[in-house]
Amino acid sequence: MKRFLLACLLAAPIATVNAEPEDPWLVLQKAAQAAHDLSYKGVFVYQSGENVKSVQVTHMNYGQGEYARVVVLDGTPREMLSQGSDVVIFSPKNEKVIMEKRRAHNLFPAVLPNTIENIKVSYKARIGGVERVAGRDGRVVFLDPKDRLRYAYKFWADREYGLLLKSLMLNEQNQMLEQMTFSQVDMIENQDMDWFHPNVDHGKNYILEEAIAQPAQEASEWTVGALPAGYRKIQQVTRLVPGKQSPVTQVIFTDGLASVSLFIEPLVKGTRPRIGQTAKGATNFYANVTNGYQILVVGEVPSTTVAQIGSAVSFKK
Amino acid sequence: MKSQISALIDADIALEDAEYLYTTLKSGGDSSEAWATYHLIGDAMRGNPVFKPDFTERLMAQLEAEPVVLVPAAARKQSLLRSNRVWSVAASVAAVAFVGWVVLQQQIQADADDTASPMEIAQSLPADYLLAHQSLASSNSAYYIQPANYSE
Repeated sequence: MKRFLLACLLAAPIATVNAEPEDPWLVLQKAAQAAHDLSYKGVFVYQSGENVKSVQVTHMNYGQGEYARVVVLDGTPREMLSQGSDVVIFSPKNEKVIMEKRRAHNLFPAVLPNTIENIKVSYKARIGGVERVAGRDGRVVFLDPKDRLRYAYKFWADREYGLLLKSLMLNEQNQMLEQMTFSQVDMIENQDMDWFHPNVDHGKNYILEEAIAQPAQEASEWTVGALPAGYRKIQQVTRLVPGKQSPVTQVIFTDGLASVSLFIEPLVKGTRPRIGQTAKGATNFYANVTNGYQILVVGEVPSTTVAQIGSAVSFKK
Repeated sequence: MKSQISALIDADIALEDAEYLYTTLKSGGDSSEAWATYHLIGDAMRGNPVFKPDFTERLMAQLEAEPVVLVPAAARKQSLLRSNRVWSVAASVAAVAFVGWVVLQQQIQADADDTASPMEIAQSLPADYLLAHQSLASSNSAYYIQPANYSE
């Protein structure tokens, strides 16, 4: 009897683990960490509307920090090198190569926020089946918006390493807006750093673009009132926009996954004001003119969201 | 040669072992351009400020600080070559500034043609603002891969 009870006790937890489906949030959390912690190399296909590009990514982290190199394989040979949170982008333009310095972006497969908690308020996660991507088994996780203020996502996470194999963004009609999917991915076994350098074209001039955005104080003339649910302000800068003589204020909002930029600038005489709404692929635009200011909202979010953010701007009398 | 210059900048080759590289560099031409390019890329990667107002002074100071293999008989010729190098750097800085000025002028002209009546945003997509959004918003993979201005 005692032996039987012991057997039951031992078997019980194992049985529970097997029966219980995986927690989708844990799968996403693991995927977010894996993208930063693991060393991997692969080629993924980026697709947005009619644009399709193959991109090579090499990422290394052996406890000395993150190093990555990303090379666009189709069309203009853009490439990007990053060390920690510093990024340099090399883009050839005619006889020049422009070098841009940026803060780190979330680049595939590192598209999920480090703190998954931030997206729990706005999205519901649901576990799906197992599908094969790039020759590997991927666990499907659906991320559905709780309202109509953001798009839906579907992720495939490697069952062994946790790394995202594929990411898909869908609109309300379940149509693909943006997709990134590995066609091949391997773990890097050695610590060789030979790959960490740009491909230098000696026939071209390398030009470092000056920093065009400066952190900005709160503006005194206007405020942004009630934001759409789940969105919060993360950055405010004054920056130059090509073709504009005076700096423009840019405020960036995010719900943890999607991001929206609000541009505000005083209307200059002779400049044609813009109004209305439009869309291009996953990006929605909203423009309005109030109190002599041009307001422009741009983001990979539904049209309702850009309009709500644009309308939230109020001017102090 | 170019890989050796790269190695020299990364300090993979000791300066003492690279006298012949210096000699080649001082003779100007292709190699010294490669040298300048590598330095610029290296600066960008390390996060050193480049093209700040004191860029030329800083570069001159750096050139000044670089060890020079001095041969007494060639001393005169050397100082002359060195000043040549500084001038060629100054010329490239000026060239960059000029290109930037031309681009800016073209854009200002394009703007001046507008009239003051409001325009539906759908008629002309604000690509510059889309690019500005992509370049700062952290969730934009598109910026590296397919930025608005580079669409082919």
